[in-house]
Amino acid sequence: MRLSWRRSRRRIPLAWYNLRHERSRLLVAIAGVAFAVLLMFMNLGFLGALINTTTNFYDQFNGDIFLVSPQSLEISSTKAFPRQRLYQAAGIEGVQRAMPLYAEYALWKNPETQISRAMFVYGFNPSDPVFLMPELNTDAARQALQQPNTTFIDRRSRPEFGPQTIGLETEADRRRITIVGQYALGGGFAADGTLIMSDQNFRRYFAPRPLTQINLGLLLLDPGTDAQRVQATLRSRLPADVNLYTKAEIVRKESQFWIQTTSIGFIFGLGVLVSFIVGTVIVYQILYTDIRDHLREYATLKAIGYSGGYLFKVVLHEAVILALLGYVPGLILALGLYALADNATAGTLPMQMTLFRVVFVLALTITMCSLSGLISVRKAVTTDPAAVFA
Amino acid sequence: MSAVPVQPVSPGAASPGAASPGAEISVQVQTLDYFFGQGDLRKQVLFNINLELHRGQIVIMTGPSGSGKTTLLTLIGALRSATTGSLRVLGQELVGLGNRQLVEVRRNIGFIFQAHNLFESLTAAQNVEMAVELTGNLRQKRQRATAILENVGLGDRVDYKPAALSGGQKQRVAIARALVNQPQLILADEPTAALDKQSGRDVVTLMQQLAQEQGCTILMVTHDNRILDVADRIINLVDGRLESDTNPQQFVEAHTVKSLDHNMFVM
Ligand SMILES: Nc1ncnc2c1ncn2[C@@H]1O[C@H](COP(=O)(O)OP(=O)(O)O)[C@@H](O)[C@H]1O
Ligand SMILES: [Mg+2]
Repeated sequence: MRLSWRRSRRRIPLAWYNLRHERSRLLVAIAGVAFAVLLMFMNLGFLGALINTTTNFYDQFNGDIFLVSPQSLEISSTKAFPRQRLYQAAGIEGVQRAMPLYAEYALWKNPETQISRAMFVYGFNPSDPVFLMPELNTDAARQALQQPNTTFIDRRSRPEFGPQTIGLETEADRRRITIVGQYALGGGFAADGTLIMSDQNFRRYFAPRPLTQINLGLLLLDPGTDAQRVQATLRSRLPADVNLYTKAEIVRKESQFWIQTTSIGFIFGLGVLVSFIVGTVIVYQILYTDIRDHLREYATLKAIGYSGGYLFKVVLHEAVILALLGYVPGLILALGLYALADNATAGTLPMQMTLFRVVFVLALTITMCSLSGLISVRKAVTTDPAAVFA
Repeated sequence: MSAVPVQPVSPGAASPGAASPGAEISVQVQTLDYFFGQGDLRKQVLFNINLELHRGQIVIMTGPSGSGKTTLLTLIGALRSATTGSLRVLGQELVGLGNRQLVEVRRNIGFIFQAHNLFESLTAAQNVEMAVELTGNLRQKRQRATAILENVGLGDRVDYKPAALSGGQKQRVAIARALVNQPQLILADEPTAALDKQSGRDVVTLMQQLAQEQGCTILMVTHDNRILDVADRIINLVDGRLESDTNPQQFVEAHTVKSLDHNMFVM
């Protein structure tokens, strides 16, 4: 009783009735919007995944605060700074452990083709828990790394580097080297392949570089410590030849660097724009046809006393309904394709839906449909009410 | 030129237009001209129209095709803006009014068209409710819509869409939509042209009944000589000029004596 009383007080949702009346046209419109939504999600997904791969190796770096030279751009183009800074940082309250990380490029010879390629090499003290990969955190691994001229190799290195068999012997910078283990890390955009070796071996391969100059400092904090507070204290105590970042900050800084120096931001941004335009055109076509078919009816409404503003609202209402009806299947399809892409690339292209993207694409879709509505609405609003008598 | 008997309309002369003195005037047109187009294409379609419609009158307007009947109707209905002369409708001067004010005026007028112009996506009741919503009375809109549909004999069709209704039924829904807000003036342009003889007759009788109940003025354009008898007054428009203003007896006599001018009733 109460319900029907309420329902009867609402205005007739003309937009919805009009759309619903033309079933097949409505389905085409929904499919069109869903397609555009899907394209937007895929472009943003690839963009997000690529940006993610530029920095996702940081997930395996065991640090709460990172020390780098102010002149460093990203992990592979760091400027070394004095190891002394680490010792200074270690004395600050809340810092549990301070660990150096060394990095250089070496020429790795593919033992099958004899062709050498640049390989990115990390050096660390095997007694420091610098990396989180389980393969590196066993006593056997630490022992193997302590042997002279040994290295672990990244399974995600490009196949051009050749076989990764444990025990395999080849050359790095013209010096004999033996593979003693494997791990999965990835080199982002900077490296086609990576090696991890002990600091002592690192010194052998990159002599005369001294171990007193480090590329990255990793600080582990006492559990429950406020990283930002420690960061501020460090900032006030350490000289200006090091910058201090939390993990989130260094990840953001480096992905920003890659978006700016490569064209991935542009390419996928363009992809989103094209999807947006395609969607706009499809919805415009649908709305235009719909308005054309209802022109006489709209003119009648104007004749009996409805204003142009009312017709404007009806068309925009139709646009928003199309946006919402198309968005939902578009989102569901995108989730499916994300999972598919994630599987097909074995996790190296991490396609993950984020809340931000869900909201962002929804906003884009509503904008897209409203824009089409605004372009096509003129015809409805300016329809001549006298035309109904023609 | 046609051989229609010419009875110039002069205000104040003893014509059916000048009903009992003091009667309320619904529509008063004075020295109205109207042009279509601009520049070289400018073409005058209405010439010095003078006309008064009194409250409660049913006036039928006839005349050859292209003589300007629809144009005059749309001007009175505030669907076009007049720029010359004077055009008072329900006490409001329309000449010089802006679009927004014209919309307001239209809300007090019921329109009935040759085509029913119903929303195909809405039921009969919803089509009528669209008109009720204009009054802001959302609570009783359904009630009022069904009541008027019952009045026009469609009580058992309220929830049918136009596609499921016959031509006559659709036109009756359109009439219900025009009448539901009890307008003081009804403008109808060939409302029976698309209907067969019987439905046409029914529709006109219905309009007559409802008009009498609600005391509103009706101006109806028609070529249909079978329905002339409902009129209190018949005016004849030829080439944009008001040529005669008679009551039905005079009209019929005039046209039977001087062998009927077939042009008058071109469908
Ligand atoms: N929108 C318009 N633009 C230009 N000329 C028009 C328009 N509407 C009607 N006309 C012209 O005005 C004249 C009168 O038309 P109309 O009022 O429709 O006549 P009727 O309804 O008596 O048949 C005709 O010559 C017609 O061609
Ligand atoms: Mg006409």
